[in-house]
Amino acid sequence: MADGGANEDFRTMLARMERDGHLRRIKRTIRPEHITALCGKAPAALMCEAVEGYEIPVVGGLYWTRPRTASALGWRESELGARFATSVSRPIAPETVNSGVCQDIVITGNDVDLTSLPIPFMHEKDGGPYISAGVAFANDPQLGPNAGCYRLMFRTQREMGIDLFTASDLRRYYQAAFDKNEALPVAVAIGVHVFEHMAAAYKAPAGMNEMHIAGGLRGEPLRMVRGKTVDVMVPANAEIVLEGELLPNGWTADEGPFGEFAGMQGDLKYNPLFRVTAITHRKNPIFYALQMPWENDWLNGPATEAACARVLGLAGIQVTAVRATEGGCCGWSVVAAIKKRAGEGKNAIAALLSLPVVKQVIVTDDDINIYNSDEVEWAVTFRCQADKDIVILSGMKGKHVDPSVRPWELKPGELPTTSKFGIDATIPEGIPAFRYERIVPAFRDDIRAEDYL
Amino acid sequence: MMPGADARLVAKIAGLLRQPVFFRDVLVATRDQPYRAILCAWSEIRTRHALARDEFGRYWLEEQ
Repeated sequence: MADGGANEDFRTMLARMERDGHLRRIKRTIRPEHITALCGKAPAALMCEAVEGYEIPVVGGLYWTRPRTASALGWRESELGARFATSVSRPIAPETVNSGVCQDIVITGNDVDLTSLPIPFMHEKDGGPYISAGVAFANDPQLGPNAGCYRLMFRTQREMGIDLFTASDLRRYYQAAFDKNEALPVAVAIGVHVFEHMAAAYKAPAGMNEMHIAGGLRGEPLRMVRGKTVDVMVPANAEIVLEGELLPNGWTADEGPFGEFAGMQGDLKYNPLFRVTAITHRKNPIFYALQMPWENDWLNGPATEAACARVLGLAGIQVTAVRATEGGCCGWSVVAAIKKRAGEGKNAIAALLSLPVVKQVIVTDDDINIYNSDEVEWAVTFRCQADKDIVILSGMKGKHVDPSVRPWELKPGELPTTSKFGIDATIPEGIPAFRYERIVPAFRDDIRAEDYL
Repeated sequence: MMPGADARLVAKIAGLLRQPVFFRDVLVATRDQPYRAILCAWSEIRTRHALARDEFGRYWLEEQ
């Protein structure tokens, strides 16, 4: 596997995924509204080369699984969290360049037409076709440049709805412009390398430019170029860039529903409008359609694992592996393996449940391969007594997206609370380790399977 | 320049919008048309009319 560090662009990343067997090319013609269904049934990410009515191929499903995410990054699966943590701790500022391939073709004025892009309709109850892989870039006079991941719903040939419903830096920037009845210049990049996408998805502190984190992930400065019609910097090697402005209409335009990151069809919302002033792109661009929910979730998985390792470290616990599970949307459910001292199974649970999004945890000893769900289940079965080893914490901070907290019963502005639980699947104190001695096939090391099979 | 919307397709979609429909229903009813033509027609309708929405996300023409 390549190291994935230097001067990689989206296409280089796709080439590695194809070499690793995680990306397949589809030559048969497909309509845009069928791409999501096909991606969901495919064993690998797909490059749909013949999209009916378009000359632009569509790629999707890139970060659907942990192995695909690791392949995109060029990292080993077991090191996602640790390597992300190291990279975030060493941010590198972007480098401004005078030109970039993302501006090989520039379309402005009356020629701007969003229907020229194969923006797919994705889920049965969606409010329209969606750009799901957009990374939005904006500036604030005080806080500086910012990047984040936002969905955009097709409305007209020049306008899209953008979801700014929940708190975010872009919402903060927009609110400041809205208060002055001004539009906010924004650029949306589609088809950026996973380094930039993952950095944009990372909840960096306000005032920190996420593209410094992208530089940390790359190990070199990200090259950025100024937009053609907006004073906003974008990754120079992005496939497609939409330039425009968020209109000062406030939260008034219908947007959604859209298949959300938690795997459920979301609600209709009212949001600002994004009016497009220019479309720029590479020659022969590739349109990236991020597939919900897992692909969105895996963009956050390494950051979750890094945060878990950090809080366990602060609690003085020696963690050997952390896994954010796909079923828990790579954030709500985690499994951690530790070198346990007395009481640290419960301490680890308390530390992990203190993270805002983490709702359920399993803690095992370090002899368990936590990437194998059967081994984790075995540990839960035989190392856990339910009346002693399950920790339940009530009244903790919850999330509106979780229906089990009954968010519709809350008053406007009221925040939900939730209960959380952890399972201590480490060997209980007082039980000698030999009681858990595992079966070892006789003469295991003398027999080579390939000599017989 | 932007391609114009097909007037007959616009009228067909507008007819669908006399009652609440999901966007998916629009695609199903116009599946014999190119996807881009459907989006152009949808753009035309959204530019000319305010579309009402219900809590499920269905659309219909406001004035009807």
